[in-house]
Amino acid sequence: MNRALATAARPVWTPMRLFKVLALLLLLVLVPPFADNPYLTTIFISAVMFGLFGAIYDLMIGYCGLINFGYAGFIAAGAYASALAAFHYGISPWLGLLIGGAAAALLGLFTGLITLRLRGLYLGLTTWFVAEALRFTISNADSYTRGVRGLAVDPFPDLFGISFARGNLLTYYYLLLVLGALIMLAMYLLVRSKAGLAFKAIREDELAAQSLAVDTTRYKLLNFTVASFLTGVLGAYYAHYLGILTPTPEEFGVPRTVEILTIAYVGGRGSLWGALFAAFLLIGFQEYFRELEAWRLVLYGLLLIGIMLFAPKGLAGLRKHFW
Amino acid sequence: MALEIVDLEVGYSREVPILRGVNLCARDGLVTVVIGPNGAGKSTLLRAIYGYLRPSRGDILHEGRSIRGRTPHQMLDEGIALLLQGRSIFPAMTVEENLELGGWTIRRDRARLRQAFEEIYARFPVLKERRHDPAGALSGGQQRMLELARITMTRPRTLLLDEPSVGLMPKLVDEVYEEIAKLKEERFTILMVDQNVKKAIEIADYVYVLNLGENSHHGPVESFRDRLEDIVREWL
Amino acid sequence: MDWSILLDPLILSELVFQGLVRGSMYALMGIGLSLIFGILGIVNFAHGEQFMIGTYCMYFVAAVLGLPFIAGILFAGVVLFFVGMAIERGLVEPLRRRAGRDWLVDSFVLTIGLMVVLQNLAQIVFGTRRRGVTTLLPGSFEIAGITITYERLAIFLTALAVVGLLFLFIRFTALGKAIRATAQHAEAAQTLGIDIARIYTIGFGLGAALAGIAGALLISIFPAFPTVGYQPVLKSFAVVIIGGLGNIPGAIAAGYLLGVVEAYAIFLLSAGWQAVLTPLLIVLVLIFRPQGLFTVQGERP
Repeated sequence: MNRALATAARPVWTPMRLFKVLALLLLLVLVPPFADNPYLTTIFISAVMFGLFGAIYDLMIGYCGLINFGYAGFIAAGAYASALAAFHYGISPWLGLLIGGAAAALLGLFTGLITLRLRGLYLGLTTWFVAEALRFTISNADSYTRGVRGLAVDPFPDLFGISFARGNLLTYYYLLLVLGALIMLAMYLLVRSKAGLAFKAIREDELAAQSLAVDTTRYKLLNFTVASFLTGVLGAYYAHYLGILTPTPEEFGVPRTVEILTIAYVGGRGSLWGALFAAFLLIGFQEYFRELEAWRLVLYGLLLIGIMLFAPKGLAGLRKHFW
Repeated sequence: MALEIVDLEVGYSREVPILRGVNLCARDGLVTVVIGPNGAGKSTLLRAIYGYLRPSRGDILHEGRSIRGRTPHQMLDEGIALLLQGRSIFPAMTVEENLELGGWTIRRDRARLRQAFEEIYARFPVLKERRHDPAGALSGGQQRMLELARITMTRPRTLLLDEPSVGLMPKLVDEVYEEIAKLKEERFTILMVDQNVKKAIEIADYVYVLNLGENSHHGPVESFRDRLEDIVREWL
Repeated sequence: MDWSILLDPLILSELVFQGLVRGSMYALMGIGLSLIFGILGIVNFAHGEQFMIGTYCMYFVAAVLGLPFIAGILFAGVVLFFVGMAIERGLVEPLRRRAGRDWLVDSFVLTIGLMVVLQNLAQIVFGTRRRGVTTLLPGSFEIAGITITYERLAIFLTALAVVGLLFLFIRFTALGKAIRATAQHAEAAQTLGIDIARIYTIGFGLGAALAGIAGALLISIFPAFPTVGYQPVLKSFAVVIIGGLGNIPGAIAAGYLLGVVEAYAIFLLSAGWQAVLTPLLIVLVLIFRPQGLFTVQGERP
């Protein structure tokens, strides 16, 4: 607990650090419009989106030691909830962001209630089974979800006179930045709160936390449900940005989960921001070596193994050298 | 000198050593007891001798040879056995299988193994009686007997005992110390770490007091009988 | 649908036998996972890739070299035994020296990385083409009205023989006893002179060999291709959850049980919905009996 208190009190906002953060944010905001290159903008969208998924993943694994091995299924829950609401009932995708969040949060709450009272890997395995059950159900209930033929999803409707037609990549990019800022802020506030202390205590030593009368199950459930909600919101954004949903493994199965897990681990557990850097590195790399599809995944695997064996802190471990 | 510890420094991390230069001797055929308050580093001492922890300084000599840097599974071949703290039987295996594993290092020497079984069964008739039962079904006291029997299968010369009576019912505690007293009669060299100061002193020949990872007092047991209460009071 | 055909003894026994054949694979895979978990405390997600390597081994021996299927089984078992030991020495052992309290999650993530690497290396080396062996043993016979192919019988009997040999090995040999001792109390085993690092290596090798044998046996149903291990690994995790993690007899019982349940599901449900059934079943088990169906009270999870 003492160690948890010490780490929670860590960040010191020196002017230099503030300047660096602002400079990076400015780069994020300004590079795509000035480059004026649609291809580059899609890469920025992917990188920011996967960085955010990675950061949310880190909220679970890095702050509370919870491993969600069915993470892609939670994205699917958010994406399909919003897309189906719009497709069948004409509900506005703007409301869909919340519907997606709520659907994933419910899924998280349900899975959490079953498994979080148990320790060990029950959560990891159960989320995996839940996600696969969901994915197979989506592909089989094809009269409702259109299954593997793919569900066409409408773009966001115009808001405040801003057009969200599909070709407006920059608009989608800025919408993602706004959503991302809100998500990062929410997570930042959460880990700085009293709950954040409890998360750290659970991650450091669950039994010790219990003996200090921390209701560990409740805090784990809180962490997991909040993370699921944020995942669902982002999943809903993903659906309306992408325009078509198919329940393939690459999109919503284990390979996707592994990608995000790798981003979170490369970023460094317990760092939140690290995942964003990792996503830019990995997605940039993957775009650069497009033709080497299988080798790219070999690299992901090797990175994961390397992180576990040699650099358990990931990129965040390098921070002291340039931060 | 059976076992000699020279200026031993050990810790789980480099910065905070648990043992800070401990010196200690266990004499042939005698019972040497190490006592001290909680956190004095008593169990760490035994684990370091047995090779579970790497010392950052100092040396460990057994019968004049340095055994520093050996791994735990090489210790029986050096003639040293360790009784772990707490329950250490293999609960789902039979009593006989537990003893067989006690003879793991002599498993190819059939004759010696058979003789070891005869000796153990003569010493602990109850273990012979229940040899086909799972060890987990034995009573707490019987399990401790099995653990003691198991580490003496190969007739090691030096026994390290880590809190032999901890967690046992008061009635069984006496039985355990009686058993240790018998081992003493058989001329095993015993180095025992114990929380149960009163009982330990009763069978000790020589006593060391550790405090905060350092030697505090030591001497033959006679010199401790009167001072004992003062020493224990210091810890509180 | 006419439900009365379910009571037809012919269909009933046909489905049970089909289930036992599938169950053979699930049991072998599940025992392998349980063994590795019980001895090393690792939830091995790369188990399906060990299955995959086994299918390629069988393809090589049976289709390329044209040797009898028993040679393929032996080859797969031996190759995977060494692959497993190499994985343990090269990756798991260094992690063990580093990791502490997060061992369970850290080692799991390590095996995820390994899964990705092996799967995609296979894709680079072999491509995505499916390499199957349509029939290992031609011919069939009829008994009490149901037709049994020699191949299915061979799968069933080989799996039984492997499980039987493993049982005898673990139960009665000195090394088997040392393995059980290490699983029950590694530190105590170490004080008695057992080199547990060696036991860990052998244990991982054995678990991998079982996955490889399962892959080799089932090649007519699961032809060799890079991601062939996914369904088997999903099923084998189902088996160890139903049977109780680390519980080997539980894994055997659960393997055959799941095999029979699935045989019925395939008969009753459309192709796609069977895939939903297994994960759903597991979620139900986790809700109502998280310690597994076959775990005796008080045993470790």
